[in-house]
Amino acid sequence: MLMQTSALPLTPFRRGKVRDVYEVDADRLLLVATDRVSAFDVVMSETIPHKGAVLTQITAWWLRQLEDKVEHHMLSGNTAEIVREVPQLRDHEQELAGRAMLCRRSTVFPVECVVRGYLSGSAWKEYRERGTLAGEALSKGLRESDRLDPPIFSPATKADEGHDENITVDRMRTLIGDSWAGELERLSREIYEAGRAIAARRGIIIADTKFEFGRARSTGGEGVEKVILVDEVLTPDSSRFWPADSYEPGHGQPSFDKQPLRDYLDAEKRAGRWDGNYPPPRLPKDVIEATSERYLDIFRRLTGHSLDPNGSH
Amino acid sequence: MLELWSPATRHGLWRRLWLALAEAQRELGVAIPEEAIRQMRANLDKIDFDAVAAYEKRFRHDVMAHVHAFGDVAPAAKPFIHLGATRAYVTDNADLILMRRGLDLLRGRVLDVLRSLTAFAEQWRDQPTLGYTHLQPAQLTTVGKRATLWMQDLVLDIADIDYRRRTLPFRGVKGTTGTQASFLELFEGDHEKVRRLDQLVTERVSFPASLPVTGQTYTRKLDAFVLSVVAGVAASAAKFSGDIRMLQSFGEIEEPFESEQVGSSAMAYKRNPMRAERIASLARFVNSLEGNANQTHAVQYFERTLDDSANRRLVIPEMFLATDAILLLMANISRGLEVHPAVIGRRVAAELPFMATEQLIVRAVLAGGDRQVAHETIRKHSLAAARALKDGADSNDLLERLSKDKSFGVKLKDLEGAIDPKRFVGRAPEQVDEFLRDVVTPLFAGETARPGRPDELRV
Repeated sequence: MLMQTSALPLTPFRRGKVRDVYEVDADRLLLVATDRVSAFDVVMSETIPHKGAVLTQITAWWLRQLEDKVEHHMLSGNTAEIVREVPQLRDHEQELAGRAMLCRRSTVFPVECVVRGYLSGSAWKEYRERGTLAGEALSKGLRESDRLDPPIFSPATKADEGHDENITVDRMRTLIGDSWAGELERLSREIYEAGRAIAARRGIIIADTKFEFGRARSTGGEGVEKVILVDEVLTPDSSRFWPADSYEPGHGQPSFDKQPLRDYLDAEKRAGRWDGNYPPPRLPKDVIEATSERYLDIFRRLTGHSLDPNGSH
Repeated sequence: MLELWSPATRHGLWRRLWLALAEAQRELGVAIPEEAIRQMRANLDKIDFDAVAAYEKRFRHDVMAHVHAFGDVAPAAKPFIHLGATRAYVTDNADLILMRRGLDLLRGRVLDVLRSLTAFAEQWRDQPTLGYTHLQPAQLTTVGKRATLWMQDLVLDIADIDYRRRTLPFRGVKGTTGTQASFLELFEGDHEKVRRLDQLVTERVSFPASLPVTGQTYTRKLDAFVLSVVAGVAASAAKFSGDIRMLQSFGEIEEPFESEQVGSSAMAYKRNPMRAERIASLARFVNSLEGNANQTHAVQYFERTLDDSANRRLVIPEMFLATDAILLLMANISRGLEVHPAVIGRRVAAELPFMATEQLIVRAVLAGGDRQVAHETIRKHSLAAARALKDGADSNDLLERLSKDKSFGVKLKDLEGAIDPKRFVGRAPEQVDEFLRDVVTPLFAGETARPGRPDELRV
């Protein structure tokens, strides 16, 4: 039931709405995913059991699947192992179980690499209004939620305030240089397409996703900076997950993970019991459980086995 | 908008802020019982204003009066309400929430106006009309093109509203002089928990960030930023109202006039542009207050002085309320504008022959004339025709004069063919189409028009 982790004996590095990052030492960071959940831009008062562990372990699983395609930042996603590496965490093993990832530090590129394999969300909105995506013309007559082949790469800047701002690929080249930009686009497409194919065979459509990359000295230590994949990877928080069995283009799709939560909040809004502002309604037990079960289900479907609460598979 | 600035909304927000503070403190380990949170939640909008008034009479302090009135209905929470906080925690943070919602409401109103003007601009996209510079007839434009000038101002205002809305920070949880000392006490020296408390409350009310540092209050610069955007909307409306008033004076376009409306108590025939005049009146009021906000900021001493308080209580709500009224008027006028093409056509016809000099010279040269001679002929007859108009002639007879002048050598029919008004409007109709398609329509995406009939005009 972890809401926040300020009790950890490490220096906080960055705090997000649902994830905290701590400095371990000059070379390593600890990423901790909480069970907090937001919907309609409002953070709920309740937590979703197992959500943090599911997000962390899905990332760990993907990074292992993708190891032949890209270097990544994970040193360990196994809490027992992490506590052995970072002994000052030994009193916190219980609360960190499954949700912590020990990572190597890198210089993170100031762009978010978004890949869209289906036309949805803000991309659909732009296409409907102007027939373009990320400023580039798309073929005519596409419907909402239609599959895009090849997927479209649409980078964004990381805004400190509010929502990220979409930028063109040209702008990204100016920001980080031609060669890095090319490498990030190539990797983003390759990883997304591999992930989309794997998830599709397991009943999940990954409609779009966001990657972040950093640069670091290669693990071989020869001193050449290489691109490494950082942050969370192909999780329901960094991507849009749709159930494949009910997929039907022409309208919006249900969210694999948050639909029970959204349905409940929608009903509260329609009934006039919630105006969309703080405080959000209290979530009933069955909504919390249904949402939690969705996260566990995603984990089972992707990996083929149940979530190990210690993250030690 | 009236509801937004009502005591019920403001003090309901105070209670929500006290709830958010208690929830976040509880999450960070302060021993606040679940029952206290439950009771606070159950009484967010059940405010007994009589009880508040009685407390305020005793304490001479509005925030403490509300603390006690809240504690009466949420007794389990009474010991914890406002824990570690200063009055500015509720008053300032609530003001920021109110201003942010006010911007949202104004944005919706601006979109309503744009919807009405879109229909208007489409309908009159290629209706030629006199364009004016220096308030003197210049070249032609179209009625719809002129409407896009009004609309573009509002589109720019929306971009400003969106920027302010998106980046407006929260005051957050900062304590009496902004040092967070009381909270550091509460968390027994744990700086991280104090930082986290500020962040948790900020997240709960969905602000992107809280100000990194404050005195007792948030810097009053934020008021100046927001109110400058509000004043910008009022100025756009004032510019529109000025054009409408003059167009009504010309008889070209009139604001709506109800079937039983009385124009003047004495002059029964009168039809006055009174709604546009009311916009001008209110907008001048709003614009006169814009500088006030910067002055309030300028004279805040050290961590805060109280001379901002009574002033802000008037200036902030009144600027929002007046601008809301302005936009209601503007939407009402835009929906019911009456265009009189016959009057417009007559006024165009009186000026157009003078504007067509180049076209007339070309006709003369094509008919075998000399450019220099044609120019002199036109100059001579133009002055005479203008003189005749000023001396009372019914219409501009320049073309007739030219057709009778042998040195010009072009028939009247051919001269008239050269001055079809539609040939003088340039790309105005296309500019209207492009502007509506590329700039205005995208603003409506994802927005649904307000259901039901338009708001009744009561201002």
